[in-house]
Amino acid sequence: MEIRRGKFRQSVFMETPQDSDIQKKIDYEIRMREGACKLLAACSQRDQALEASKSLLTCNARIMAYMSELQRMKEAQVMQRVARRSSDAGPMDDRSPCKGKVAISDLRIPLMWKDTDYFKNKGELHRCAVFCLLQLGGEIFDTDMVMVDRTLTDICFDNTIVFNEAGPGFELRVELYSCCSEEDYSAGSTPRKLASKLSSSLGRSAGKKMRAALEPGACSATSNGGGATILLPVPSVQGPKYHLLAHTTLSLSHVQDSFRTHDLTITGNEECSYWLPLYGGVCCRLAAQPHCMTQQMMSGCLRVKLGGEPQGWTNVYGVLKGTNLFCYHQKEDMEAKVEPVLTIGINKETRIRAAEKDPHSKAQNICITNQYGGEEVTHTLAADSREDTQRWMEAFWQQFFDMSQWRQCCDDLMKIELPSPRKPAIVTPKQGSLYHEMVIDKSDDIGTVTDILARRIEEFELRAQLGSPPHWMALFDEDPPHTPQHLPPHSPSPRLHSRQPRSPRCQRTPGLLSSNASLTSDSDSPASVSPCFRQAWSPVASSSSGRFRPRTLSLDAKLSTLRGRGYNGFRCNCQPPTASSVSPRPTQTALSCSSSTSSSSSSEGSNSQESDLGFSRPSGARRSLRILRAKLDPRNWLQSQV
Amino acid sequence: MSFIPGQPVSAVVQRIEIHKLYEGDNLILGFSIGGGIDQDPTQNPFSEDKTDKGIYVTRVSKGGPAEVAGLRLGDKIMQVNGWDMTMVTHDQARKKLTKKNEDVVRLLVTRKSLEETVRQSMMQH
Repeated sequence: MEIRRGKFRQSVFMETPQDSDIQKKIDYEIRMREGACKLLAACSQRDQALEASKSLLTCNARIMAYMSELQRMKEAQVMQRVARRSSDAGPMDDRSPCKGKVAISDLRIPLMWKDTDYFKNKGELHRCAVFCLLQLGGEIFDTDMVMVDRTLTDICFDNTIVFNEAGPGFELRVELYSCCSEEDYSAGSTPRKLASKLSSSLGRSAGKKMRAALEPGACSATSNGGGATILLPVPSVQGPKYHLLAHTTLSLSHVQDSFRTHDLTITGNEECSYWLPLYGGVCCRLAAQPHCMTQQMMSGCLRVKLGGEPQGWTNVYGVLKGTNLFCYHQKEDMEAKVEPVLTIGINKETRIRAAEKDPHSKAQNICITNQYGGEEVTHTLAADSREDTQRWMEAFWQQFFDMSQWRQCCDDLMKIELPSPRKPAIVTPKQGSLYHEMVIDKSDDIGTVTDILARRIEEFELRAQLGSPPHWMALFDEDPPHTPQHLPPHSPSPRLHSRQPRSPRCQRTPGLLSSNASLTSDSDSPASVSPCFRQAWSPVASSSSGRFRPRTLSLDAKLSTLRGRGYNGFRCNCQPPTASSVSPRPTQTALSCSSSTSSSSSSEGSNSQESDLGFSRPSGARRSLRILRAKLDPRNWLQSQV
Repeated sequence: MSFIPGQPVSAVVQRIEIHKLYEGDNLILGFSIGGGIDQDPTQNPFSEDKTDKGIYVTRVSKGGPAEVAGLRLGDKIMQVNGWDMTMVTHDQARKKLTKKNEDVVRLLVTRKSLEETVRQSMMQH
């Protein structure tokens, strides 16, 4: 599927700068969409697939919005040209209200589970992935995805979404999309063997759900696009599909400085796979900051009559912003944030009129009358010239107009918290257990576990910030002084088996040495280089602030695989020499072997493994299954030799 | 070398032409790769940006064809014989490198030092 730019450009006769902007945006979204499609096709984990599907849906929605905007602009251009030609210019002095920022935050959608489901918590846990799509004008944003099951009472989205250019007549469409996530048993609680057995067979209810999911249009759901008219050929990707569950439209009347509940229109019914029992409302905080409240609408030099003196004119620098006209001594005061000399309120009750000509000045005076607690107070201002007076009056009229359009938003400035810039996803360590701290690869044996622990001790000792050593250090009470010194280049632990075919193991550079030292040495670096990487790398990383924990198989799984194979067997290297000889070439991990094994039928690889792997390993079939599963496990970082 | 989704990636690249070597029955290049869009990018020790899912060179065998041709450890492979390597799975990348009927692969690789070299040489003038 290739979207050709030409198809869009055919309809463009004359490109204006706004057109090219939108065109760029469309191109960008199309690229994003292609990336999302590729990712969706390639990913193996459910979470990734859900995220990719969500970004696909958002990209599609954006493309549709941009294209309709483009269409509208084209039409407006044509209408304008037609109007000009027939010399039928409409009234040009229509006042248009100022734009503003609209922010929606703290979205919360309550759910209404049957009390039996919620309290008893029996049966399968039906989980759905949900997210919200928010559209205002041409801007579309999506919230983060949230997994919902019956242990949750509300769906909460923490994002704050700010739309920057919204007119007072805005319509903010909120759409809730959900996608059923089939129960995956291997959520970590069941042991791997059981998990593999279960995942290969479908239970009755799971099968029913699968059938429902495969049935097209079972619940009148729209597929990827989410819109009625799809102008572009939608790429058909397999993967999770989101369906519209509920929607609502918010406008100026819903804007308030506090939380409010709005009604949701629910599409879909109980039969759909993506159904969630919604209570029927959405609670959120919708705030608006019109520009007339946040920006200076007018500023300039004025003269003000202060005090009781009839002739006393004071020169001030006036700034019209929000509901006030601030008068400073001079412009620099305003920048220095000094308190203004005089603040005149400009709100709905203010009356402004141009007074009769003051005999002493050429220009008209401006009288601003306010009611301060029952009393009428009038301020008299004068500008330097007639044009200035006109401009000030114009600014005041515009301000009044904006206030009348934005209504309750102009009473007081509503606070909008800007979301902090998102940092790239940092992998947080899942648990603090020791197993996850250890970086082990398949090639290592048990002896290296102690190496790793020894290194960890050293690391802790080097990092002075740790007050007390971790509790597992008690294991090494008799050893600690010796182990660190033996590290390079021999295997330090005396417990290492002598039948180790390769003598110098991976250079264990202690703690903070640069990672290059261990990486580039090629002589007999056993197994894979990955333990070297990670071990050299994670200590280096640990001394810096941002620390990425490499995730690894649990120790149990590791030990069981190790026990299951003999040392001879471990050499699934590409190099074909006889099985018993120790290959001088760097050997490769089981992972790379599997990469060619699994794709062997179609592989154009230069390494044909089948014949080599034949007799040299004890439990061939089980091993290849394990290798395959290890390969598919995204926690490993595969390396292949080419 | 980090990328912004949707934006074209620009990098200073070096062309490396590797002639495959016959090793018994197989053609080898003499290096190992890691990474891919289906892999966990945070475990990549060579990438600057830990969300970079590109293909990186994780090992270069000494004296092998890759080293001779100028490939270095930690290089990020952008293209192989014209095929893009910045948005491929690990297996796809491996396949593009190990086609049996090709005995030369022309790579475009990038590394941090390249950009610095270019910048320095530009500053000298």
